[in-house]
Amino acid sequence: MKAITGESYEIRMDDNHSTVFFKGALRLSGVADYLPILDLLKETLVNPTNPVVLDLKELDFLNSSGITMLSRFVIEARDQAGINLFFIASESIVWHARSLKNLQRLMPALVIHLT
Amino acid sequence: MTAGQTTGHIEHESGEKCEYLALSFSPLSAPIRSRWRNNGLSADFLGDYVTTFFSANGDVTDRPAHQKEIKHAVTYIANEFLENAMKYHERDVDIPIGIRLELTGSQITISASNGVGTEQSERYKAFVGRILSHDPGDLLLRQLEESAAGTAPVESGLGLLTMITDYGARLDWQFDGHPRYPGFLVVTTSAVLFPETDTGAAE
Repeated sequence: MKAITGESYEIRMDDNHSTVFFKGALRLSGVADYLPILDLLKETLVNPTNPVVLDLKELDFLNSSGITMLSRFVIEARDQAGINLFFIASESIVWHARSLKNLQRLMPALVIHLT
Repeated sequence: MTAGQTTGHIEHESGEKCEYLALSFSPLSAPIRSRWRNNGLSADFLGDYVTTFFSANGDVTDRPAHQKEIKHAVTYIANEFLENAMKYHERDVDIPIGIRLELTGSQITISASNGVGTEQSERYKAFVGRILSHDPGDLLLRQLEESAAGTAPVESGLGLLTMITDYGARLDWQFDGHPRYPGFLVVTTSAVLFPETDTGAAE
């Protein structure tokens, strides 16, 4: 299982390269600092046999640079034919309902499950 | 790093009482990498601080879910303000970076100030002009598309746009010349939240 961890966060990708789990608070300082995470996410788009799932339900905080990173991934998924993209989010984390809808405007086929 | 903190109680011209908390950071003492973590700590502090007034001030809000929304909005906005201030403040002059939380019965204001040179100030004014003359939601989407395509002019605007689109904040800006440093300005950006009429787009 591939993982990227920091003082306040943990990101893990399952062995099928189809689900990425996020946990904690992500407040990295800009696009460049988010590149390793974006690169990890992009691995899910290489020959996907399963739906691609981003499990965000334990991601308590994401700064706007992180939202930019997620949007870059969503645009990449949108522009590649045949990607089924799902976000798992939580009703109890305020930013999920407020900010993820912007990503759905970028990719209307993006499915967001609020748990 | 040195940081100052002030809390207090003032009365607005309107006669409305106002509680406030102000933090200030000296801009010179630590490199941005080592103080980046402090943005999150300070923002979390402001978010926690605002909850003090939920029980004391029935005017703000009394529903737990709503309180959680407000706490997060304050934390998110304070974090974005501090990140921008740390990135863009002018390091050559001793103008502090400030952040202030202000509460009245009907609104919560978070404001941040930092020193900038004329060039940075003009760039920021141009961005403010774009925000004021476009629909923030459309501008946000365009900014995200441009960022993905690598053609976005400035990254920082996104944080400000999301304050409006996701948290229903009203933004205000102030540019003041600095008495001690000719050619430098103090930029203050304020975000006003209206807890009672929150249209934070959680629909």
